[in-house]
Parts: sequence; C-alpha cells; structure tokens
Amino acid sequence: MISLDSKTLPANINIHLLPTPKFKTVLVTVLLHQVLEKKLAAKTALLPAVLERGTGKYPSLRDLKIRLEELYGAELGADVIKKGERQILSFSLEVVNDKFAPGENLLRQGLLILKDVISDPFLENGAFKREYVHQEKEQLAKEIRGLINDKVNYALERCVQEMCPTERFGVYKYGSIEELDPVSAEGLYEYYKALLRENPMDIFVVGEVDAEETFDLIQEAFYFSRNGVPGELPPVEVYNIPGEVRYREEKLPVNQGKLTLGYRTNISYQDEEYVDLLFYNGILGGFPHSKLFQNVREKASLAYYSFSRLEKHKGIQLVGSGIEVDNYRQALEIILEQVELIKKGKISREEMENTRRALINMYKVVGDSPYNLVNFYIDGLIGEREEGVDYFINKIEGIKEENVVAVAHKVYLDTIYFLRSEDGEGGEQS
Amino acid sequence: MQWQIKENETIAEKIYYAPLDGGPDLYVLPRKGYNKKYAIFSTRFGSVDNSFRAAGNGEEEITLPDGVAHFLEHKLFDEKEGNVFDRFASYGASPNAFTSFTHTTYLFSSTDFFAENLKLLINFVQSPYFTEESVAKEQGIIQQEIRMYQDNPEWRVYFNLLKALYEHHPVRNDIAGTVESIGMITKDILYKCYDTFYHPRNMAIFVTGDVSPAEILDLVAESLSKRTFPPFNEMRRVYPREKAAVSEKKVTQELAVSQPVFNMGFKDTYAYLDGRELLSRELASELLLEMVFGKSEHLFTDLYEEGLIDEHFSSGYTAERSYGYTLLGGRTKDPEKLHEKLLEGIEKVKKEGLERESFARHKRKMRGEFLRSFNSLEFIANNYLAYRFRDIEFFDTLDVLEEITLEDMEKRLHEHLIEELHAVSIVYPFRP
Repeated sequence: MISLDSKTLPANINIHLLPTPKFKTVLVTVLLHQVLEKKLAAKTALLPAVLERGTGKYPSLRDLKIRLEELYGAELGADVIKKGERQILSFSLEVVNDKFAPGENLLRQGLLILKDVISDPFLENGAFKREYVHQEKEQLAKEIRGLINDKVNYALERCVQEMCPTERFGVYKYGSIEELDPVSAEGLYEYYKALLRENPMDIFVVGEVDAEETFDLIQEAFYFSRNGVPGELPPVEVYNIPGEVRYREEKLPVNQGKLTLGYRTNISYQDEEYVDLLFYNGILGGFPHSKLFQNVREKASLAYYSFSRLEKHKGIQLVGSGIEVDNYRQALEIILEQVELIKKGKISREEMENTRRALINMYKVVGDSPYNLVNFYIDGLIGEREEGVDYFINKIEGIKEENVVAVAHKVYLDTIYFLRSEDGEGGEQS
Repeated sequence: MQWQIKENETIAEKIYYAPLDGGPDLYVLPRKGYNKKYAIFSTRFGSVDNSFRAAGNGEEEITLPDGVAHFLEHKLFDEKEGNVFDRFASYGASPNAFTSFTHTTYLFSSTDFFAENLKLLINFVQSPYFTEESVAKEQGIIQQEIRMYQDNPEWRVYFNLLKALYEHHPVRNDIAGTVESIGMITKDILYKCYDTFYHPRNMAIFVTGDVSPAEILDLVAESLSKRTFPPFNEMRRVYPREKAAVSEKKVTQELAVSQPVFNMGFKDTYAYLDGRELLSRELASELLLEMVFGKSEHLFTDLYEEGLIDEHFSSGYTAERSYGYTLLGGRTKDPEKLHEKLLEGIEKVKKEGLERESFARHKRKMRGEFLRSFNSLEFIANNYLAYRFRDIEFFDTLDVLEEITLEDMEKRLHEHLIEELHAVSIVYPFRP
C-alpha cells in the first residue's frame, strides 16, 4: 500500500504526500473545509466557480484555459464536495508526469496556477469582479434547479432533504436559490478571505514525485498568510432514533417511479462498528450478489436497479429502486422483508463470504486510482481515523454473522420517498 | 504460440498479442504495481448489427427486432445452475457487461483468484443457456432499464438526434430497443444470434494489470482447448443505403427538466472506413472540434459569458466503420439562440481561418489527455479492443495525431461542419 507522508506548513496547511510510480500523472488536491449550513452553502458553492474565472496573472477564463492547455492539457477542477455535515472546497490539478515531457516543468507550472486560483483571484476595486460573480450566480442557480434532470439522483437527494429538514445534512451541496440570490461580489470576497485565513486546509499530492522536492515546491507556492490555529468545525450529528416512518410522495410527469428509503444506522465512520455497518450494507444491497439485487431484480423482475448505499459520516443508508408505479406495494414489501431477514440472521454462508471478498477487493483497489486514494484519506481526515487500507481489510476478515445482525437491530427506517407519475396505482395515499 | 510484442516508448507501455489458433485474439498489457486486474471478452455484435446474412442459413437475410444484442448480453449471465454472478462473487470479482452500437463486452475486475475469474469469464460467455421462461422474466427487467432511460434527458436528446441524422441506418435505434421490440425477442432469436456472432473468431480478449503474459496465455489456451468450434463463416452485415443528407432538420421532445437540453450533430459522408484512415479521420475531427468549440476558444467563452452554455457543454466525434458524426451540446436557457450562435461561430471560423497557435496548443492538450487516460486499466482495455474492432492499432494514436497538419484541419472544417449536413435535437421542459 502507498503510505502517507504528512507535514504541516508554517501557514497551518497540512500536506500529505502519496508517492507512487504507477501513474502517468501527478494529482494535487487542495481542500478548504467548511461546515455545511443552510445560510452558507450557496455562498460556499459559488466560490470555486468564481475563483476559476481568472487570476491576477490570467484575468479571464480564456487566458486561464489557454495556459492550462499549453501545459499538455493540465486538468484544473474546482468544486464543493459534501461529506457528512461538511462542505469542502476542493481544488485539484492533474498534470502529466514531468518524465513524459522533459524540460517542461509541468508540476511547478501547474502548481503556480493552482496556487493563484486559490490565493490570487482576479479582483476589481478590492473585491471579486462583479460580472464574474453575476454570471456564476446564474450558472449555479441553473445547477441547483438542474438537480431534477437526473431523476435517479434527484430521488435520493429529495429523500435526504425530507429526512433531515432541520439537520445540517439536509442542505443540498450547492445550497438554495434563496440563499444564493442576495450574495454580492464584495460580501463574497470578504467571506472567502476569512475562510482562507481561518479554516482547516489540506493538500494531497499523488504520483511519482520526490518527497523533499515536492514539500519544498508546495511550501514555496503556498506561502500566503493564515491564522496560526485553524477554527474547529462542529462534529456531525449521527445518533437518531426516529418515531413513525415518514412517507413523502412527489408527482412529476415521469416514465418510471423511484422508490427511495432512508434509514438511520446510528453508526458513523468514527465508530468501532463502522466496518460491521459496511458489511451489513454489502449483504443488503451493495453488490449484484446482495439481497436487493437478487430479490427485487432477479427474482421478482421489478427493477433494473435496486441498491443500498451509505453516507458513511452521517450514518445514513439510502435504498433506491426504479419501478413501475403500480408495483410500489410489492417492491416495498420485498425490500422491507430483506431487512427483516438480516435481523433474523437469515444470511447464507455464501452471502457472508461473497460480501467479505467483495469488500476486501474494494479496499485493495483504492490505491489503483489517484482520485480514489485521495478520497480514502479525506474520509480519514473527516472521520478522524488514521488507519490505512490494511486495517479495514483486517477488520473485514474478522466480521461474523452476529456483527451484521447486530447492525440490523440498530438501523431504523426514517423516511420513504416516492417519486411517481400522476397515473398508476401506487404509493401510500392513493 | 508466439507473442507479437508492440512497444510504445512515448507512453512507456508494451502490449502482447497472440492470435490464438481458431480462437479469439488475445491481448495482454502488463501494468506493474496495480492491485486490480481487469479482463474483458468482447464480440463484434452491437445494436447496429440487426440485419445480416448468416452462413449455413441459405444466405437468407435475417432482420432482428431492436435490442437483441443488449438482451443477449443480459441473458448470457444465466446458466443452467443459476446465475454466474454468484460464482464470480465467490471469487471476490464484480462482473459486468455493456452493449454498444458495434460490440458487446463482458468484463470483471478482481484482486485475488484472478485465474479462476478469467476461466469463469471465458466459460460463461461461451455457454449460452436461454429458455422461454428466462427470456420472459428478463423482459420485465429490461423494460425498467428502458423506462429509466426514457426519463434521462441527456440520453433522449442524443438518441433523438441520431434519428434526425439517419433515415435508415440502424444507429438511429436505441441500443436497448423499445418496450414493444423486446417483447418480440425469443430464445430462438437469441440462439441464432449467438451462433452467428459469438464464434471465437469474431471475438477478442484483453487482460491488464500486474499479470504475466505467459500465464495468461496458458490459462486462455487451456480454457479454449476443451471446446470445439465449427469453422468460422463470417456473417455478412447488411446496412440499408443511407443518403448523405440528414433525415430531419430538427426533433423535439418534452420532459420533466429544469431547462432545455440541446444537441447538434453533423453527419459525416463516408460510406465505409476502417484502419489508420478511420483513426486519422477521428483524430482530425476531434482536433477540429477542439479548435472551434474548445474551452479556450472565443466561441466557448463568449457563449459561456452570455449564459447560453455551462461548463458541461461538450463536443465529440464518433468514427465507426459504416457511419461517423459530430455531436455537441449541453443544457441551455435558449436553444434557438444557441443554435444560431453556433452556426454563426462556425461561419466566422471559416472566414477567418484556423490559427496555427491554437492548432499546436490543442494538439498538446490531446497528447496530454491520451497519456493521462492510461492511468485507468478499464480505459486501456475497453478502448484497445474497440479500436481493434475497427482494424485500428490504438497505440498509433499519438503518431497519427502528429501527422495531422493545419491544412488537413482547414479541409476538414470546410467539408464536415457544413450547414446542410447538420440537425438539432432539443428536449424542452413541459409547457404548462
């Protein structure tokens, strides 16, 4: 396994190096952590888009893109990611390894652009350029409204929103139109300056690089001033035993109904039983051999997809299936029955062993993609777990049926969300 | 068996090729340091192969209901004893498959038990087991797959565009078929297609990861030695005559979306191309699209600043043996205006000419992208065979790209991006 080599810069930025010769590229990811909150989400989400519009040296989108293309098509990406109740600004740069382009200094040149995007945005009268902010607000509003275009994700996201109306986790990662509307260029810049000065910041580098040289290079590039001690972010709220199951349905002119179930697992990434939960999810719906795929799809032919997925930091499990509206009752019963079966310990030896192998396989390949590798360590940062992949593999080796059954008893169904068309007989209210 | 080894120094990769006697072509690309091993088994049978003359069938022309290749892909996972998923799962592998316009690919990736999984892959793809009952059961599942895509605006706008571009060519039909057409599929049709298109000579295997080519060869040779195959009589694919002009100028549809989705296509005019010539056509077209619609070009940044497009706006060229086209588009608040501005933008480039500086820059970018994509084992395997099936050596990409001149670009611009050969497809939000 590729091991992490970490260091903290004087400016209180943590650098994590993952040296490996396998990849053709070097990936640098810079994270600026923020709490996910209704009032802040749209503002935070707007930042990466505005920052990508131009820097002091490359003032327009076109100038910036031209420069990146000259560097053998360096990929610069900026976005927000939602993990638990954090909204993280993520800036990444991927360049072809210098050994494939001798004399070009792609990593150094790329890093300078990345650093400028973060710390030297294009300014006008001491604030972000108004025109950029205005245009990006319009683009972000489109993105927020555009969630509905992808019905699979829309149904999952809507289930989360209905499930967590008063929790921070219920906030969409791009925020809301209402909170976006009043944002001004000046206010946004002040907000960003404080964020950049005070909030926790991490940099990951993956690829075939010399450790010392890279530390020096980053130290040299990321020299801007920050507070000595970054602010603390509040922890994620996990534990919650819901009362009566909430049923929500929404009618849209769609061809396929989407049935989504939101469960509270009361276990998060930080907990000792996290791997037990991961295993439980694998038995229920993580793989083609899992109960959901086998029963909802293969046996009953009700769906093309039926899966369960975890949000590991918040400890929420979502079960999603695309079905005929008329088949609502039958599909729901089969899904609920699978959960009950696990509670009763009706898990075959094959299901246990197949899930074990699949999960081990999943962890073993983490190091085969620079993006997955970084993502694994970001989860570690947020969940305050320092263990590497081997720790998880060891834990998975030792999981017994009783661990899985114990998880099933801690899991509560919170919300059923059903996206459906006007016609058809299905759902709870018809 | 002798390996033929092809090395590419620019990307520092080496590929081993073994033409197995009477069997599928075998390719191995070792990648040191990866835990994942990835293998695919592909056949040249896709959704466009819906009309053919098979040998031993009195040369009679057979026309299939739409969606057979995809349906067969689903059903091949069935075995007499149950479902092959479980057997892969017991070796920690996740198998999968996909059907494109021109081929069907079965695949898995695993870290442990690689030999067992590879044998399983080779065996299950060569052991069809179809019954009337299992065919009927699959219809429910595929129906839901089709319904899912019916709600997907990007998918709909794309297939609607293909229908606008092509009047007869089967590329105009959805890969999965329709709810009606899959109702016509029977087990006999599946067997007929299996016998015709799944002959090992029509297929190829690609393995990559930290593997030894010699061991892979032994494994594959052993798996195949247990089988006997009839001699391969190549089927003859029948394509209807397709005129150069587009079928319809504009197709529209309404869906539950927040704003319109716009696609624009330019139909290429060749009747048949393959090999290096087709690769050159593809790369020249991609490079041209970069130079006209790329993110560093005025056309893109102007449209972006006007709010007519967003960062997901993209363009690309598809090059197959019997058809080729350019596709571009994305979400927009005003599809009519975007359409007009794109046509104006193209005319402007034609009038002002392509720039040498932009040509060199986009070439560099394409080189970098090619290198970068070699981080992914899946990308390497899937693309290598997809190109192989068009008689293209994928490793030639950078060389062929290098040969392309600015003059070629000018020529391509004037022959391909022309108004008469384009069509648009728009998905609108439902109007109240």
